[in-house]
Amino acid sequence: MIKIPPLKKTYSSRTVLDFPGTDLEKGRIYAVIGSNGSGKSTFAKILSGMIKDDDKQKLFKDIAVGYMPQRNYSFRMSVVRNILLGGKDPSLANELMERLKISHLKDKRAKSLSGGETARMALARLMMGKYDIVILDEPTSAMDMESSLLTEELIKEYVKNTNCALILITHSLQQAKRIADDVLFFHKGSLLEYGSAEKVLYEPENAETKKFLEFYGS
Amino acid sequence: MKTSILKAIELILSMDAELIDILSVTAKMSIQSSLIALLIGLPIGIILGGYEFPGKNILLILNRTLMGTPPVVCGLIFYMLFSGVGPFRHLKLLFTVEIMVLAQVFLITPIIIGNVESFISTIAPNVKETAKGLGFSHIKTLFLIINESVYQIFSAYLLAFSRSIAEVGAVSMVGGAISWKTNVMTTAIMQYTNRGNFTLGVALGMILLSVSLIVNIIISIMQRRLSK
Ligand SMILES: Nc1ncnc2c1ncn2[C@@H]1O[C@H](COP(=O)(O)OP(=O)(O)OP(=O)(O)O)[C@@H](O)[C@H]1O
Ligand SMILES: [Mg+2]
Repeated sequence: MIKIPPLKKTYSSRTVLDFPGTDLEKGRIYAVIGSNGSGKSTFAKILSGMIKDDDKQKLFKDIAVGYMPQRNYSFRMSVVRNILLGGKDPSLANELMERLKISHLKDKRAKSLSGGETARMALARLMMGKYDIVILDEPTSAMDMESSLLTEELIKEYVKNTNCALILITHSLQQAKRIADDVLFFHKGSLLEYGSAEKVLYEPENAETKKFLEFYGS
Repeated sequence: MKTSILKAIELILSMDAELIDILSVTAKMSIQSSLIALLIGLPIGIILGGYEFPGKNILLILNRTLMGTPPVVCGLIFYMLFSGVGPFRHLKLLFTVEIMVLAQVFLITPIIIGNVESFISTIAPNVKETAKGLGFSHIKTLFLIINESVYQIFSAYLLAFSRSIAEVGAVSMVGGAISWKTNVMTTAIMQYTNRGNFTLGVALGMILLSVSLIVNIIISIMQRRLSK
């Protein structure tokens, strides 16, 4: 169990995140859904320590957080060296590249990759490490269907193998349905609905959630 | 015109002793001043570009102002500080290469700071976000930021070097353009033109342009490598 305290973030008197706090359980996948600007990335940035909340809390002690930002940086080196920045095991790097179908890009300059290729490299780079909490901010938004599905499989395995709590920010309800155990629905900075994937995605209680699901679903 | 160009080429090929002396004083001054400026400017540029702290904006405005310091104003300041009435007169640095280096450092350090800062501030937020997400230490993140910037740092250095080699206002005031001692290419061109001796002036002008050409070729090659 990992405790997340209530979090609030205000930019020039506009509250962009007002999160009530919750407990995360290891080994579970939490999908975070919501429209553009609903505060998903802000939530991720605060959890990862990239930015501080209004109270400037130090969130975790002795808890490692891995985080893949919405915009990933390719360092000025080859793809495989970028991946090895995340962890030292070369055979794991090879396996991850194999799984994400980027082995043929191994020695290319990372900066020359396409958007979807960069995302796959960044995911491999992150998965070289072990963390208690892993946050992925729209990892598949630049990927095609095949890569998205490969990524989902890999995420499930990674969570099982490393027993981390994984927070997956996504705009794909299908993706949330396929791999999430729990779902958090953000709306204008607030957590409007939170529960098991079956409940939130199929039988939501909140009117906003219903509207959102109808708009995005089928 | 044509004859003076031919004569100038002849002069260069004959390795005229005074020409060689002017070149070596110029090289000594420019290399020393640009290296010192790099040593001072690089860390400041990295800190200003990569980190947030109170007062940073004031420092940026100050640096931008210093980048635009008119060389003669710089010359005036150093002249007053080191001349017979100045606080540093006992150092006896006026009309030496050392004080020319000092004045140049004052002029070109802000150029290095400004160029390094402006590049690093564009990449630092993304690099830091990715590095933080992977749990890197501050030191490792700093090394990565520097590694991302090596070409820009080298370009900034070359820019400062070529500014230093081409500058005339400050060095003529504090150096005095003394032959065989503090005369550099730019001050010599002025001096010889005033005396009506165009040959040495044209020879120096051609060398100065060639150096500038080479520097710019290097910068453009690096930029091409960067954009790939
Ligand atoms: N540094 C900032 N200064 C001011 N406002 C900001 C800042 N960062 C984010 N915001 C605002 O906070 C709100 C939430 O942004 P956030 O990036 O968390 O949204 P999101 O849910 O991730 O959206 P998307 O689906 O587009 O990625 C937005 O309205 C955004 O304009
Ligand atoms: Mg976002």
